[in-house]
Amino acid sequence: MSLYMLRRTGVYLFLSLAAFLSVFPFFWMAVGATNKSTEIITGKMTPGSNLVVNFQTLLSQVDLWRVFGNSFLIAIVSTILTLAVSSLAGYGFEIFRSRVRERIFQLLLLFLSIPFAALMVPLFVMISRAQLTNTFTAVILPTIASIFILFYFRQATKAFPSELRDAARVDGLKEWQIFLFVYMPTMRSTYAAATIIVFMNAWNNYLWPLIVLQTPENKTITLVISALTAAYTPDYGVILLTTVLATLPTLVIFFVLQRQFVQGMLGAVK
Amino acid sequence: MSSLSLKGIRKSYGSLEVIKGVDLDIKSKEFVVFVGPSGCGKSTLLRMIAGLEHITSGELDIGGTRMNDVEPSKRGIAMVFQTYALYPHMTVRENMGFALRFAGVAKDQIARQVGDAARILAMEPLLDRFPKELSGGQRQRVAIGRAIVRNPQVFLFDEPLSNLDAELRVHMRIEIARLHKELQTTIIYVTHDQVEAMTLADTIVVLRDGIIEQAGRPLDLYDDPANQFVAGFIGSPKMNFLPATIVDKATGRITVELTNHDKARLTLPVTSGVVGDPVTVGIRAEHFGMGGAGDIDITLDVDVAEHLGSTSYVYASAGGEALVVEREESRHENGNERITVSISADRTYIFDDKGHRLR
Amino acid sequence: MAQTRLDRNEQINGWAFVMPALVLLGIFMIYPILWSLWMSFQVGRGNNFSFGGLANIQRLANDALLVQALTNTIIFFIIQVPIMIVLALLFAVALNDATLRFRGLFRTILFLPCVTSLIAYSSLFKSMFSNDGIINQALMSLHLVSAPIPWLTDPFWAKVVIISAITWRWTGYNMIFYLAALQNVDKSIYEAARIDGIPGWARFWNITVPMLKPVILFTTILSTIGTLQLFDEINNITQGGPGNGTMTLSMYIYNLTFRMMPSFGYSATVSWVIVAIVAVLSIIQFMIARDRRRGA
Repeated sequence: MSLYMLRRTGVYLFLSLAAFLSVFPFFWMAVGATNKSTEIITGKMTPGSNLVVNFQTLLSQVDLWRVFGNSFLIAIVSTILTLAVSSLAGYGFEIFRSRVRERIFQLLLLFLSIPFAALMVPLFVMISRAQLTNTFTAVILPTIASIFILFYFRQATKAFPSELRDAARVDGLKEWQIFLFVYMPTMRSTYAAATIIVFMNAWNNYLWPLIVLQTPENKTITLVISALTAAYTPDYGVILLTTVLATLPTLVIFFVLQRQFVQGMLGAVK
Repeated sequence: MSSLSLKGIRKSYGSLEVIKGVDLDIKSKEFVVFVGPSGCGKSTLLRMIAGLEHITSGELDIGGTRMNDVEPSKRGIAMVFQTYALYPHMTVRENMGFALRFAGVAKDQIARQVGDAARILAMEPLLDRFPKELSGGQRQRVAIGRAIVRNPQVFLFDEPLSNLDAELRVHMRIEIARLHKELQTTIIYVTHDQVEAMTLADTIVVLRDGIIEQAGRPLDLYDDPANQFVAGFIGSPKMNFLPATIVDKATGRITVELTNHDKARLTLPVTSGVVGDPVTVGIRAEHFGMGGAGDIDITLDVDVAEHLGSTSYVYASAGGEALVVEREESRHENGNERITVSISADRTYIFDDKGHRLR
Repeated sequence: MAQTRLDRNEQINGWAFVMPALVLLGIFMIYPILWSLWMSFQVGRGNNFSFGGLANIQRLANDALLVQALTNTIIFFIIQVPIMIVLALLFAVALNDATLRFRGLFRTILFLPCVTSLIAYSSLFKSMFSNDGIINQALMSLHLVSAPIPWLTDPFWAKVVIISAITWRWTGYNMIFYLAALQNVDKSIYEAARIDGIPGWARFWNITVPMLKPVILFTTILSTIGTLQLFDEINNITQGGPGNGTMTLSMYIYNLTFRMMPSFGYSATVSWVIVAIVAVLSIIQFMIARDRRRGA
């Protein structure tokens, strides 16, 4: 019994240490947002009174609401389109089997591991030739069709009972109606998990917007943080305040959808 | 309430043929059960009737109309699935009215039809629950209700009771029989359970490897099986099969010699068969008599005896061959005992080495 | 075989459902990849290029910076990925114990870093690891070091910062995959092993790890891609420095395309180095998967 207790204590210590390391940067970020840059640099770990000043500094440097609006617009449109396109395709590949499409799917899996870096040069040339640079369209379009999310939806569709589709066909639904009225409501947790992943990716996307978006009024929040950080004398109070603001939306989405997220992941790994 | 006819129905997946030419006429209001071992094609055949699988070749008529290329929802059928296939995000009421909603039926009409079906199945209190709040038996009822609401000409049941526990299964079986009486519709019912087939069917269709082995009334199949497969499949416990050889033939009768029972000989009123051919003698467990009461006696070593109260099954063997004997009059057998039972020639069936019945 | 109408409908629907994704992937993935193959044989600045034959490939052979970027990427991969996967596995196994208290809380906290954006957290790490930042302060007040560690100005320590940052951000993400996979494992297997007297560590090595092998393989692939993609953190924390000590392939391609004298042709060639690496890794992964199937 004592050996068991010892091991138990070890597990708790290990997890507590990990939890501390996980949370500390959040704490640091929140506290830092209320302190002066000079205080942050010297490691002050108590809340200060500089929050309002940091906020004013930030507002004087960037059009914060516009930047947030840009980020939200891009993230929301990307998420909706990505979920729609990928879930349609994942469903299509899984439900309507044919040899040709199976081959295409295997081919896509090969492309799954092609990193974005390998695409960005031709993509940039394409976008500039189409005269789409500095538009949100240019940011969103190449990210819509995600092989990873498509793959995820196909995996999850394996758990969609085929008899449910049969029942709907007998009930007189067309294929698109089955997708809309039976599949989508049934797979809510799959969509929730995908929403978290896709929204976070879109919200946090950095490299591609950095390449495509050029004028200040089109910048996203990640670009702003990056610019603030790259300054010659970075104002850490302002930077940390901005990171707090940039993290809040994803944090909220995560906590709202957490339960479904775990369920959705369970379905995908099966 | 419609008749069905299947003519030369075939189904292949690529080069693999799973339904190999099925001809069947189903009368209006008939309760037909497709039964057979797993992989025999019974569910595929049902799904072809439903329109969920397309028909490779052959003709499917429902109510006199060719249905090969018609959408499932336009065939006048309703289907009850093995896993019930209830829409998890809808209440019982919405589940039952879903098809009508897409058929463009008016709201009050839907409500009335759903209400009627719920009354027939005595599940009005469940209407606003979600499927996950229901027990297995209740879900099954909702699935049946969903089928009733559509007022179909033909009901299709795909192993509807196989996910229920034994007690509920008996209960739902009776319920389905009652429904058939009440609704007076044609029902096609797939099961692998021959007890369900025997108790429910007007006509049993026994399938194996994509062909019909025999179709007929339950007791006809039981009393007069067309071949060894049907003889073995219908009836519980299974019919005993004893290897034998034809040793003599005269006008209107043959004599066979049982291989494993001291070369006991039986003379049977059978006109076909050739002397020297190996055959199989079939005898049901309940058709063994007391020693001396039949044409021949055989002696068996008892392995295990199951005493069920009203009857007893004795699992015994002789010459390396296992047999089941039903004994209504005796409760005494147990292991390590020998019993003598009799066989009467008129209670046996003879099959040739291909499984065909010799008559 | 006669094509019935229902059969044809299946085909039409099958294509209709996958078509939007296929069109988009064709335009924004397959076409660019092929185009960049063509571009790797072009030389020139900006949008003016001409056919250069194998000039880019020759340049590749003598490119010390590319070698450096490759080496760094491999170092990040070899050190960071195993640490992260082992940690994630340990977390997952610990959190899979139903008798553990606060497991929901621990799970949420350990996953929390994943909700931060790469840029936000890298800014955070930059501020924490600055010369007189909180990390150095803490280490010095605990008397673990006597002088501040030059986190961001020494190539070795800069790599340490990047590796810790990535590990912080992604361990919880991997943990969720393992946790999900573990919850699909039949508990009675573990009960049977306990009754058979298999000790805890052997249950981990001989039951948990083999059962999770497919997921581990999958997360390894994801991490491989992640390492090859490594850009946001680098660009934000070290800009590839000091002295190209944290330069990665993605960062290098970005610099080639947009920072130094833009040379689309050559950056396409370097892109294809990544494609080649991915292809080799895919073949290895394919062989592992095949071995597994044969073994099973």
